[in-house]
Amino acid sequence: MTAHTTESPIAEEPGVIRRFGRMLLADKFAFCAAIFLIVMILLAIVGPSWFGDIAIKQNLRGRNLPPFDWERGWIWWMGADALGRPLLARIIVATQNTLMVAAGAVVISAVVGTVLGLIAGFSSPRVNQVIMRLADVIMSFPSLLIAVIVLYLLGSSILNLMLVLAITRIPVYLRTTRAEVLEIRERMFVQAARVMGASSKRILFRHILPVVFPTLTTLATLDFAYVMLAESALSFLGIGIQPPEITWGLMISQGRQYLTNAWWLSFWPGLAIILTTMSLNLLSNWMRIAFDPVQRWRLEMRGSTNG
Amino acid sequence: MLSFIRKRAIASLISLVGLLVLVFFLSRLTGDPASLFLPVEASEEMKAQFRELHGLNDPIMVQFTRYVGDVLTGDLGQSLRKARPALDVVTEAFTWTLWLASITMSLVAGAAIVVGSLAAFRAGGFFDRLSSILSLIGASVPDFWLAIVAIVIFSVQLAWLPTSGTGTLLHWILPICVLFIRPFGIIVQVVRGSMITALSSAYVKTARAKGIRSGPIIFIHALRNAMLPVITVIGDQAASLLNGAVVIETIFGFPGVGKLMIDSILQRDFNVVLAAILVTALAIFLMNLLIDIAYALLDPRIRH
Amino acid sequence: MRKTIMLAALILGSALSPAYAASGPIKIVLPEEADLLEPCMATRSNIGRVIMQNVSETLTELDVRGDKGLMPRLAEKWEQKPDGSWRFHLRQGVTFSDGTAFDAKDVKYSFDRIMSDKNACESRRYFGGMTVNAQVVDDRTIDFNVDPVQPILPLLLSLVTIVPEGTPLEFVREPVGTGPYKLTNWTPGQQIVLTARDDYWGQKPQVTEATYLFRADPAVRAAMVQTGEADISPSISQLDATNPATDFSYLDSETVYLRIDHNIEPLNDVRVRRALNLAIDREAFIGTLVPDGALLATAIVPPPTLGWNPDVKVFPYDPEGAKKLLEEAKADGVKVETPITIIARTANFPNVTEIMEAIQSQLQEVGFKVDLKFVEVAEHEGYYSKPFKEGRGPLLVAAMHDNSKGDPSFSMFFKYASEGTQSGFSDPKVDDLIRRASAAVGDERAKLWSELIAYLHDEVVADVLLFHMVGFSRVSEKLDFKPTMATNSMLQLSEIGIK
Repeated sequence: MTAHTTESPIAEEPGVIRRFGRMLLADKFAFCAAIFLIVMILLAIVGPSWFGDIAIKQNLRGRNLPPFDWERGWIWWMGADALGRPLLARIIVATQNTLMVAAGAVVISAVVGTVLGLIAGFSSPRVNQVIMRLADVIMSFPSLLIAVIVLYLLGSSILNLMLVLAITRIPVYLRTTRAEVLEIRERMFVQAARVMGASSKRILFRHILPVVFPTLTTLATLDFAYVMLAESALSFLGIGIQPPEITWGLMISQGRQYLTNAWWLSFWPGLAIILTTMSLNLLSNWMRIAFDPVQRWRLEMRGSTNG
Repeated sequence: MLSFIRKRAIASLISLVGLLVLVFFLSRLTGDPASLFLPVEASEEMKAQFRELHGLNDPIMVQFTRYVGDVLTGDLGQSLRKARPALDVVTEAFTWTLWLASITMSLVAGAAIVVGSLAAFRAGGFFDRLSSILSLIGASVPDFWLAIVAIVIFSVQLAWLPTSGTGTLLHWILPICVLFIRPFGIIVQVVRGSMITALSSAYVKTARAKGIRSGPIIFIHALRNAMLPVITVIGDQAASLLNGAVVIETIFGFPGVGKLMIDSILQRDFNVVLAAILVTALAIFLMNLLIDIAYALLDPRIRH
Repeated sequence: MRKTIMLAALILGSALSPAYAASGPIKIVLPEEADLLEPCMATRSNIGRVIMQNVSETLTELDVRGDKGLMPRLAEKWEQKPDGSWRFHLRQGVTFSDGTAFDAKDVKYSFDRIMSDKNACESRRYFGGMTVNAQVVDDRTIDFNVDPVQPILPLLLSLVTIVPEGTPLEFVREPVGTGPYKLTNWTPGQQIVLTARDDYWGQKPQVTEATYLFRADPAVRAAMVQTGEADISPSISQLDATNPATDFSYLDSETVYLRIDHNIEPLNDVRVRRALNLAIDREAFIGTLVPDGALLATAIVPPPTLGWNPDVKVFPYDPEGAKKLLEEAKADGVKVETPITIIARTANFPNVTEIMEAIQSQLQEVGFKVDLKFVEVAEHEGYYSKPFKEGRGPLLVAAMHDNSKGDPSFSMFFKYASEGTQSGFSDPKVDDLIRRASAAVGDERAKLWSELIAYLHDEVVADVLLFHMVGFSRVSEKLDFKPTMATNSMLQLSEIGIK
């Protein structure tokens, strides 16, 4: 998120932080989302060192302890898992792995997909054909098979896990970008820019990318949820994260068998995923308006009346 | 258009062959089916004989040449585990998947476009907030939650619907409902985003300035312009359904291609893996072709 | 007048009903579909549960309900001749479901078919290391000459299903057998239907038709019996087994253990292996992660097996003792700090992840350095069976072994002999005991197996034996059926009563 702020041309104007801060305050949902994400990032940084020990301390007598038992310490408020470990501590510790894998996979697939899509939309029909058919191939390649092949050829590691997850998500960014490029490049203003002698690069980054960007961020935020859930399925094969390491996805799948007896085992990590996705989405909707010079007034108006 | 389709067909055929060759060689690097088919106590002789029986002892290039020869005569080989033609196994399962995917995606596309556009029309309003929250929850909820909870409520407690299986139309309701939710959540968001952009774009404003007050005309005009990313994402979601809805198949005992694919990959039943990829890839290639044609129909300026 | 007749019929009917039990169709829901219904693959559980003794019968049958031992099925009686070969006298008046009569030629053909190189019949593995020659004496007598002499041949023949002469050597998908049922419908992915035969040689079973359904999710299987969509689910999850009227637990002959690779330091040291065993609090698992009713294992075979040794005691939970042993070993220069890896298979048995995580933490508690690695089935098999990979570190492979066949010979050679495919060590005394026990009969056989079990557990400390597991099944209240140790591999419809 911060990367975009600094890249953006608006960032060069003075007082920009304050201006955006005010715009953020104007949208209460986005404001809460931002706070939530900051807390999550902080937890991801400090979680494992602060709660690492308590999250792995087993107690077979305190298995599946129900949540909301206010008598006990706050760490037990979400209940305990099948080995009697406090769920709250485990969720906090799992934040780091979860966010790292999800962000890694989403960023890799979005960047690679978008770049390839731009190239496909802009270059000769032949190159376009090659890239698009490559996308078809990836789309019809079962992700589990990619996972098994990577496992056998490259071994298991977090990086390989990100790679497998990223590869399977490339086509959607690629196809979306290309479709938009095909349409936009025929539009008046692009044609005009071209007639006026603008370089392809300039057209690409000044005119086309800004139009494609909102759709891609919507997709990317939703993919966060997908990747967090899919990652646990691959742990089944021994790729990447495995117990005793934890992620939210892994916690959900471990709680699966207890769904009807001890719902809290998979509920809390599920809630964490839902809230994270929702926050990212609200923030990206806010960004869409905040970075769009045409629509920005909406937030600024509200911001000034509020402040 | 015809020459476009012809070129496209040739390119698709080349990439399909490439895909199969890739899968053929890569999958054979991932382990030996003999030790998976036979029990752990089986002797080396039994394993060797099993490999001999299924031609797995030959050098990989010999196996490949033989496979290509068979494929050219329309024979995709036998399933190791099921002792019947791999293609039969796959087409049976894929028919179910195709039905499930097409019904679900039609419902999803229809519902998501309506809800998403309505949300965009009054962006920031109550309906927009509500539909956003619900669709985001839908997009990020683990699907087995929905499946198990649905069974507990509708089959066990209320006894309205059968828990699982196939047979009557009633059996389809739960799988479709559970499968509906995730793509619906995603597509609503994409429709909403792209409609907001379209509604604020110059020409819609021009239309309004010119005095076209009628909502529906502006709406339809904007929708048409917002459709490009929407159908792309619908295609992406449909492709993942065509690859099989594994959780749904596992929980509801639905005989689709997803679980078949996973089982064959884990058991290294190579002929079934290849046949399944061939069939699903054909479907996905065809769908992408239709999507590209749809681009051109939606926006005549797009030429291929 | 008509009313009184009807009334009389009703009274008569209800009075008679205890004697003439009801009959009717039932539905059975299983976790995994049979990929093929090949008789010679019936020892594989997903196939055997459908066809073993239902469609395809064997010459002999092991009594898993009582203690009658080996019972006649298609053979009426058998004896060992002075030269060590076996003679079987076959039942007469038996027909296959295709109408042909059963005789000694079918037995010979079935046996030769298993040994054929045109297929990969699984039951062939029970005859490894011996040459068997079947000779037809007359229509109802057959001799088996086995080299070397095989004292448990009649037991082995309880695993050989009989097909009619002329059955293709390649795998078939439509089994023909002499059993009480025949296959009438198989829609792959959906259902298999067996229907009772009118011309079955034995007693007519109460179940007239059995429909098999397949659901991978245990919660769904349990729900199906609850809603009446199925009548029996032989395996449900412990967590769903909450209704005492329908849910039964049963010892299911699966044994969970950690196979130790003795070839690699520090696991080559017996003190280290003993410390592994003392460090694990087995009792703490029972009733928590492992269901109540599971037994702590002292052998790789469960208690009703021949030669199971009641004198062998489970290792106590003694973390201090384990620490002391490790210190001793360390003082002698054994590298006890080398990280040891536990290899486990995902979804191998219920709670495998939690059980392995708990074991890991208990081992770490006494000072072991332990990594845990979960792998898929193919990779697990690579670690579990020979040839072992070169350059591997010290490994403990978590595995589950099933022996419901009543004799340890189905386990001991593979798991402990120097040549055994899953054996992690080589010990001449073990090899000798296995060889002698396999050749012995009667009490001598039981004594030798007992000796081996004690030696493996107390002297060699061959592995970390954990639990004999229990399974749970849900049976509709209108049926009369108790699952047994063999239910995992065989589900005889004729044993199911309808109330």
